[in-house]
Amino acid sequence: MEDGRVKTDVIVVGGGPAGLMAAHRLAQEGLEVILMERGAYAGSKNVSGLLYATVLSEAIPDFEQRAPLERPVTRRSFGFLDDEVFSYLTFGSRDWASPPFNRTWVVYRAHFDRWLAKEVEEAGATVLEETVVDDLLYDGEGENRRVIGVRIRGEEEPFFADTVILAEGALGIVTRKALETLGGMSQTPQVYGIGVKEIWGLPSGVIEDRFHLESGQGAALEWIGSPFKGLVGGGFLYTGKESLALGFIAKVDSLIAAGIAPYDLMESIKAHPEIGRYLAGGELLEYSAHILPEGGLRALPKLSHHGLLIVGDAAGFVNASFYHEGANLAMASGRMAAEAVIQAKLIGDFSRGALSLYERMLSNSFVMEDLRHFRRVPEAQKVFPRLMDVLPARFCRLLVDLYQQSTEPKRVQQREAFRKMMEGIPKLRTIKDLWKLKGMIG
Amino acid sequence: MSSQSKDKQGPPPSLYLPLEEKLYRVRYEIDSDHAHIRVDPEVCGQCREKVCTFICPARVYTQDPEDSNLVQVHYENCLECGTCRVACTRGGVIWSYPNGGQGVKYRFG
Ligand SMILES: Cc1cc2nc3c(=O)[nH]c(=O)nc-3n(C[C@H](O)[C@H](O)[C@H](O)COP(=O)(O)OP(=O)(O)OC[C@H]3O[C@@H](n4cnc5c(N)ncnc54)[C@H](O)[C@@H]3O)c2cc1C
Ligand code: SF4
Ligand code: SF4
Repeated sequence: MEDGRVKTDVIVVGGGPAGLMAAHRLAQEGLEVILMERGAYAGSKNVSGLLYATVLSEAIPDFEQRAPLERPVTRRSFGFLDDEVFSYLTFGSRDWASPPFNRTWVVYRAHFDRWLAKEVEEAGATVLEETVVDDLLYDGEGENRRVIGVRIRGEEEPFFADTVILAEGALGIVTRKALETLGGMSQTPQVYGIGVKEIWGLPSGVIEDRFHLESGQGAALEWIGSPFKGLVGGGFLYTGKESLALGFIAKVDSLIAAGIAPYDLMESIKAHPEIGRYLAGGELLEYSAHILPEGGLRALPKLSHHGLLIVGDAAGFVNASFYHEGANLAMASGRMAAEAVIQAKLIGDFSRGALSLYERMLSNSFVMEDLRHFRRVPEAQKVFPRLMDVLPARFCRLLVDLYQQSTEPKRVQQREAFRKMMEGIPKLRTIKDLWKLKGMIG
Repeated sequence: MSSQSKDKQGPPPSLYLPLEEKLYRVRYEIDSDHAHIRVDPEVCGQCREKVCTFICPARVYTQDPEDSNLVQVHYENCLECGTCRVACTRGGVIWSYPNGGQGVKYRFG
């Protein structure tokens, strides 16, 4: 407090992985931090799937003992589905089944984020829940305009800070306003996927049986193919302790173009026997949805401004390749933003120049390395519907045909199976499409 | 599958759930004093596609029974997913965050 004003070193807007990791690091270094979260508790508005926890383990090395984790992922499967035929590629490693479990966990964000917020408080930050930031507060004009605090809904007086970290997630209403005010919106507009999810309760023993798991282990299944109706997207199924998380992620544009409602897609996915079988006998516990930014490298805005840094999904740090990662990029960006603020505090300079250390750190980290590596994902997504309409089905059919029992000699059977696989596929276009699809895998 | 002996196989009969059933499993704090979503009737009146009426996973937007050019907003079902904000490119959706602690309150997320 200075002359009756609330003034702190840093205000973090948003209590998801990005904001929480930033606040944690800052508090550890003894900076005065206030984190503002609009939900009743951190995580109450947040939806995701797996947590890749390498960054988390740097911040909280013993998180495995303390965090509310569901199951580690000890086996993974990619499935190609067609209405009639299916095929799976299943893999794992003995390593994955013992600590540190390849740092891959199924978590429920309402539990996980809430726990992480407690850790952040214990590290010394103040977490204000039920607090909606509506706008930033500025000082100066033009190039020199700088952020000096935030406006909170229902509060007369603004809160002041040397630096504000925007960790608003994909909705990013305040972030958008800030970029309109300060400049730095990308020329390439951001594009979004929608993730929709259902949590189904099932006894732990049934889950372990169905997914071939030892006690306490977990599985991750991902599918593409006919249940996803030629959309740019696919499905996932992750095992919780006593629940399953089934869902899909699809480009919003592709759903609009196809005129498909998300809840209808969810129902038709469950109607596929290869998917529905896992839920049999279960009970729906929750239904949830959230968008995620999928525009990648080219849609990134300017990340550092005078008195302001943008982290996590608010910045657009999602690797929308087949890896589909966001929470770990959010955590990494949050920690690097904190690092830049710590350095800025040492020299007492919170200008864009000083804070842009954040961008240099990002650029040398896996966050930007991966976004650069997967910069062609948007182009790959364009050919996705065309290829996904035929490829998974043809591939499954090939396998099934090769094993179809008959009195035909194998030579004839094989030739026929390969002929059927290629039938009607425009070769040149498909080769071109496949080349573009490569963007999905790097 | 090795679990064949324990699980009943074949498409399970009871998985289908209408949207009402799904939303029934979601916990909300409903703010009856503050509707966080509005639509601009001027804009919606000109909009033929009405993507909001099918792209929202909670079917918050429905065609107005009185005037098929307009949409009604059932904001209390909103999952705060953000889809309508990016799907309606005409600017018909006027969406602000619910008040602190109000709105969807996931138990799992
Ligand atoms: C269905 C689905 C599956 C996913 N699967 C994976 C996966 O398997 N692996 C992975 O790594 N990533 C996954 N992701 C992506 C991941 O969820 C995000 O990248 C990650 O949550 C981003 O973290 P964040 O902290 O930037 O934003 P968020 O987690 O969205 O957090 C933002 C927080 O800020 C709060 N907030 C926002 N605005 C304000 C405001 N103005 N005032 C106060 N508070 C505010 C929100 O309530 C929220 O708590 C998935 C996403 C979805 C939707
Ligand atoms: S909200 Fe948008 S999509 Fe819906 S009717 Fe209005 S203008 Fe059209
Ligand atoms: S935010 Fe999501 S749930 Fe809420 S109205 Fe928009 S599309 Fe529907």
